[in-house]
Amino acid sequence: MRSIIHINIADFAVAVERVVDRSLTDRPVIIAPEGAARAAVYDMSEEAYQAGVRKGMPLRRARRLAPGACILAPHPDRYERAMADVFKQALPYSPLIEPGEDDGHLFVDVTGTSRLFGPPVDVAWRLRREMRRRLDLSPIWSLAANKLTAKVASRLVKPLGELQVAAGEEAAFLAPLPIWLFPGIERADLLSLRDFNFTAAAEVTALTNDQLTVILGARASFVRDTLKGTDETPVLPAGHRPPRIALGHEFGTDTNDTAVIEGALFNLVEAAGRRLRRARRAAGRLAVRVTYADSRRRSRQAAARPATANDITLFETARRALHLALSRRVRLRHLQLTCAGLVHPPAQRPLFTADREALDRREALIGSLDTIRGRFGREAVRFGRGLAA
Amino acid sequence: MSASADTMTPAARGMAADRPGITRRIPNLRVGTSGYAYPEWVTAGFYPTSTPSEKMLPLYARRFGVTELNFTWYQMPKAPAMVRMRERVPEAFGFAVKLTRTLTHEIDPHGWRGQMTRYRDGIAPLVQSAQLLAVLVQLPPSFRRRAPQRRYLAELLDELADLPVAVEFRHSSWATDRVFAELERRRVTLVAVDTPALPGLFPRLDVVTNPDLFYLRFHGRNARGWRSGNMQQQFDYDYTDAELAEWLPAIETMASAAQSGLLFFNNHVRAQAPKNAEQLTAQLGLGGG
Repeated sequence: MRSIIHINIADFAVAVERVVDRSLTDRPVIIAPEGAARAAVYDMSEEAYQAGVRKGMPLRRARRLAPGACILAPHPDRYERAMADVFKQALPYSPLIEPGEDDGHLFVDVTGTSRLFGPPVDVAWRLRREMRRRLDLSPIWSLAANKLTAKVASRLVKPLGELQVAAGEEAAFLAPLPIWLFPGIERADLLSLRDFNFTAAAEVTALTNDQLTVILGARASFVRDTLKGTDETPVLPAGHRPPRIALGHEFGTDTNDTAVIEGALFNLVEAAGRRLRRARRAAGRLAVRVTYADSRRRSRQAAARPATANDITLFETARRALHLALSRRVRLRHLQLTCAGLVHPPAQRPLFTADREALDRREALIGSLDTIRGRFGREAVRFGRGLAA
Repeated sequence: MSASADTMTPAARGMAADRPGITRRIPNLRVGTSGYAYPEWVTAGFYPTSTPSEKMLPLYARRFGVTELNFTWYQMPKAPAMVRMRERVPEAFGFAVKLTRTLTHEIDPHGWRGQMTRYRDGIAPLVQSAQLLAVLVQLPPSFRRRAPQRRYLAELLDELADLPVAVEFRHSSWATDRVFAELERRRVTLVAVDTPALPGLFPRLDVVTNPDLFYLRFHGRNARGWRSGNMQQQFDYDYTDAELAEWLPAIETMASAAQSGLLFFNNHVRAQAPKNAEQLTAQLGLGGG
């Protein structure tokens, strides 16, 4: 049985700004790049949240909802430093500390450390006490047997509090909770389940796999595992993040023109492919995240089998993920490509001659392009597909 | 005991003057440990190998008749969780439940009454089943006897008036007759403690302030680790038979002045607490917790 502590400093950017400027305490605060033409909310305080402000919302709308709010420009470097300080507080307790991306989240795996540091619940409390004392930040903490349950517990007590889900109590704890509270459950899942009047986890997990598949299709198994609190993912060692390459493209004008979107994706693939080949790595998984003009997001991923660093093959995989992600007719504002599952390029070649020859042609083409770009610059030669973006 | 006669109530002074030693079997006395769900108790051999946490309470309840719930200090007790705990033990099993830290260590002067309501809601299942033997109010060393603290404690005890309450002080400023007399008037139990002999700590006393219940906590005598800030050092202590035997006359004295008694070992490190609890149980001639 594992003991995973989840530390969550709610509204992290606002919490950090309030440490810097005490006068912001108890006032509604919105963090957003004010000068930008289409500024979107980066983070907001609980007061602004209660007024209806949400992350990614256009600043103009946020201002209308919280007219008295103090608007601050984001300071990513400040949040990064604060996150490093938060991380340092946990270092004495475990080698397994996995921070979020400068967002005030931290998982600490304290399994097996009780002979050194005492019961996990006491470690969690001490972490909070030290963060309050040394950093003036007041985190939520939760303790559970896995990351998923710990995160649900934190969400439940947000914006303040603590929650220990005792071993063996997970099922009873999760069963009555609303489905939207679980990380990984998407809006489309919620809508599908709502059609059948399902709102609590236990109502969904009581269904058979077949019944759930009728409602959710291929997502059934994932949703079921999530709502049951099944999560074996490890807390990564301190300082270790899974290697990945993430690149983004902001459309100058919101668009739903497929040629333009695919062109932008191709450019991202080319840039990612160059970095992969330079690092002598191949990607086994490509994820595409689309952000619509109304700030809603959707992510999908596709597997590359075998892992590849070839632009043409990468694009075929990324394109599959893109079309899975594109579920609405609303225009896109932003596109993100993430190459994950990075491995050394597979040595095994295709079995059949035709496949082998096709692969060789692709490899030769990309190899030649790399050579030309190496001599004459990145823009010396391009695929026509990328010019559309 | 190290109590000086002038720090005791008249009743207590009377008891201390005549200590006959263990000569009779003491009824309504329960011995247990502070907490029971320590993973290291598996490696120490108290629980069988690979015992999952959820199986610990039923196994514990086979050997002891009472436990002190410490997790409620870290977070508010929740009624459904208490119901599930209740279902894992025999009906005769009892609980002492520690008051949450937001009512003892991290007090919000404006919101504490709301916290108290939540606490009372949380422990309600144990009250209903008559398995709540005491609410343990453990106050921090920083909680000294000054006017604001006295006022707060009085209001806190008013809020808990209908429950069996035991108060543990960690600062010596509370060891006075006036405090004991007020606890006696309220029928609130003063917790007797066995701690290292360090300056400023509440002394070892055998004062009984509540004829219904006396309460004794053995924290260990690890003077070096006591203020380390690390529970693993603070409560790392293994009592010898002789050290436990020192308490026998006082326990009998307290038992003769109260209807029932609770004795808890908090030296949980390496399962020394259950080992010492069983040693004391044997010395008291109690046939199992």
